Amino acid sequence: MNVIILLIFAGGVVAAGFLAAFVWAVRSGQFDDTTTPALRILLEEPTKEAPLTKDVIDG
Amino acid sequence: MTSLSAALERDNIAAASALDSAVCRHCGDPCDRAAVITDSGTFCCGGCESVFTLLSAHGMTAFYTCDVRPGTSQRTASNRDPGRFAALDDPDVARRFVTMRSSGLSRVVFPTPSMHCASCLWLLEQLWRFDPGIVRSEANLMNRTVAVEFRPSEISLRAVAEQLASLGYEPVLDQEPASGVPAVRRSLYLKIGVAGFAFGNVMLFSIPRYANGAPLPPQFQELFGVLNLAFSLPVLLYSAADYFRAAWAAARGRTITLDVPIALGLAVLFGRSAVEILAGAGEGFLDSFSGLVFFLLIGKLFQQKAFESIAFERTVQSFLPLSVRVERESGVTLTRVEALRPGDTIAVRPQEVVPADSLLLDAHGAIDYAFVTGEQVPVNVERGAIVQAGGRVTGRTLRMAVARTVSHSRLAGLWSDPVFEQAKAHWLTSLLARFGWWFTVIAMTLAVVGAIAWWPDGRKAAEVATAVLMIACPCAFTLAAPMTLGTAMGVMGRAGFYLKNSAVALDLSRVDTIAFDKTGTLTTAAADATVTHQGLSDAQWLLVQRLAAHSVHPVSRAIAGALTDTGAASDVNETSGRGVSGTIDGHRVVLGAASFVAAETGHAIAGEPGADLVTWAAVDDRAPGTIRLSAPDRVGMPAATAAVSAQYTTWLLSGDHATEAPRWTAAFGTRMKFRQSPEDKLATVRAEQAAHHRIAMIGDGLNDAGALAAADVGIAVSDETACLVPACDAVIRGDQLPRLPVFLAYVRRARRVIMLCFAVSIAYNWLGLTLALTGRLTPLATAILMPVSSLTIVALSVGLMRHGAKKVLA
Repeated sequence: MNVIILLIFAGGVVAAGFLAAFVWAVRSGQFDDTTTPALRILLEEPTKEAPLTKDVIDG
Repeated sequence: MTSLSAALERDNIAAASALDSAVCRHCGDPCDRAAVITDSGTFCCGGCESVFTLLSAHGMTAFYTCDVRPGTSQRTASNRDPGRFAALDDPDVARRFVTMRSSGLSRVVFPTPSMHCASCLWLLEQLWRFDPGIVRSEANLMNRTVAVEFRPSEISLRAVAEQLASLGYEPVLDQEPASGVPAVRRSLYLKIGVAGFAFGNVMLFSIPRYANGAPLPPQFQELFGVLNLAFSLPVLLYSAADYFRAAWAAARGRTITLDVPIALGLAVLFGRSAVEILAGAGEGFLDSFSGLVFFLLIGKLFQQKAFESIAFERTVQSFLPLSVRVERESGVTLTRVEALRPGDTIAVRPQEVVPADSLLLDAHGAIDYAFVTGEQVPVNVERGAIVQAGGRVTGRTLRMAVARTVSHSRLAGLWSDPVFEQAKAHWLTSLLARFGWWFTVIAMTLAVVGAIAWWPDGRKAAEVATAVLMIACPCAFTLAAPMTLGTAMGVMGRAGFYLKNSAVALDLSRVDTIAFDKTGTLTTAAADATVTHQGLSDAQWLLVQRLAAHSVHPVSRAIAGALTDTGAASDVNETSGRGVSGTIDGHRVVLGAASFVAAETGHAIAGEPGADLVTWAAVDDRAPGTIRLSAPDRVGMPAATAAVSAQYTTWLLSGDHATEAPRWTAAFGTRMKFRQSPEDKLATVRAEQAAHHRIAMIGDGLNDAGALAAADVGIAVSDETACLVPACDAVIRGDQLPRLPVFLAYVRRARRVIMLCFAVSIAYNWLGLTLALTGRLTPLATAILMPVSSLTIVALSVGLMRHGAKKVLA
């Protein structure tokens, strides 16, 4: 019996830990913008290609 | 910039006529006669071409691979004044925009409404490649803002704004930068988190009891009861606090809103559960309690998210320049508009709006009052005449003396009309208030009736009374409206019809009268006008066109039209805003206003009163002929207005003269009013309302502002996403306007869906109340009935609105 009560409290502590993590995430602004980061991860960092000169652009 | 793009246009007119079907390489718009063709592709305008060249020069052409047709058309960009960001050089103005200064870094957040896709995001976060003074930039696609960190020692705030504009992301210089929206949402997320956390744990301790089918052994029942109470307490005190606060405020104001029965239901749920648990009499209803708060808050989040994406509030100040150039003994200084004093000499550049009623100091000037009156053609003013605030200077820079301070001007006068002060009463608000009242009264009555019916048994009577109040929570009702209208708002927003808030959708569904502005709404802007002439031979007409090609006045540009061979002209003399004369192939050609042509040729012209759009032209000494401009209808508008007029009473309210009336008789019949001042339009809207009609006003300019604000639903038309719109309830993109009937059908659908949800909700309440009154409402029945009713409502409202969305998004 006692082991179940111990389990319940252990579970409660773990759940409270996740709640604390959620509160921290919200407070640090991680939910302020949910659209942009989802797109940002798909975009490639542009390579350091040499700037094209005017002649190249014009043909 | 203007002359450059004009030159580019002229060079390419011939080539472009064969390329009508080509689309712009930058923005994907169809290319017409103004197209610019280079070796790297075809562009709809010089602006798009220069953005492309700029991107290529920085090796940033990957912009075009991130998303489909990512660019924003720059067609109107070349009309903008290159000095429009000069105000940012004023430290007072700059201070309002820069939000952080530390260790030599400044941070500014600009709203850039033309940002719209993954490519925009990619480009705006690479700003540091364009200027070494920019350290980093972060775009927020949801709020359409870009935050730029820069070193003020290397790049000025003004240069940052100009850099953004040169890439096609015209920053909007709002007076007040983004407000505390994130703070509100953060607190809602936390409340949902706490409620969800409690809900999950309480369920964990409630299910054993339900699964067991009989009360658990006492030591478990007590432990679980106390744990449930401990988990639910933060829900009551923190997550649900807003409902209690709102109910308290309503009670103090002696009104009953929908928050009252919710707060009452929550309080009774928690109170009875606490009593049962602490007395050891039962397991309580805390699973239903925490679940209910969780679902209610999710509904609230849905509602909030739907309209945060559109920053909406505009004031008259947004139309006016932030600061103007004032000439003093010490030289020209930039002064904030509010600080202008009567007698100040100001210089207003082309395309700038005159900030206050002023006397013209220059000999001639042309002022475009399209904002204020809706007239398409610039008005000529002479030295000493009053130039009204809100007029836009065309042609060249004008000097004027301020006559009245900004707040006393006619424009500000219109805007301080009480119509802009009062908050609009939405039907949804009054509907929910009435509903909340009835709901509370009926629930209370049933609770009392139930208690009396069971009376001799005092304990059972209390149980029944509390059970009635618990189950009679209008949770399904509070979810139906936000979910349905929030979905409708999102779908319409994606299609280019932006609502200020979701309640507007319901107001629009009840409208029975629709008033249209003409210029810019039914017709497109003056630059695309069609030209007809009378009394001129073909040869003469060609000469007039060739002369017009030498003038930059908008009317001349329309007359010159697609002319390719401009040829040489000598002795060209343009009197700003009045007319132009010159000699072509030995013929003397005069073009301009009636008085100008009369004075130049000696022919008396009996001017047609009110015919502002008529221009006169004469070749040699022959009698002058007339030229008429008529702005073309917006594609699809005649059909759209005809469709709308079949179901609604329609009005045409135009600032223009009546010459174009016959074209619109089919859709409007006799309900057309011309030469309407802003006050006239406002009066018409008020008269309709006095006759108990619910009216929607659709217009584009400041001249409609009063009518837009007074109408039950004011819809502003915007052809440019970056354009400033007057105070209104909704903004519709110009190209989506012909689809108005589809949007109207969709909001009517939203109204029917809400009514259906209300009916379903009533059915669930009837079931719950039957159980409660017969004393059979167990915790298990509550725990099933409450979430199931909420979820049915969510599924119905979102599902039906999504199903109907295909037509809107087509």
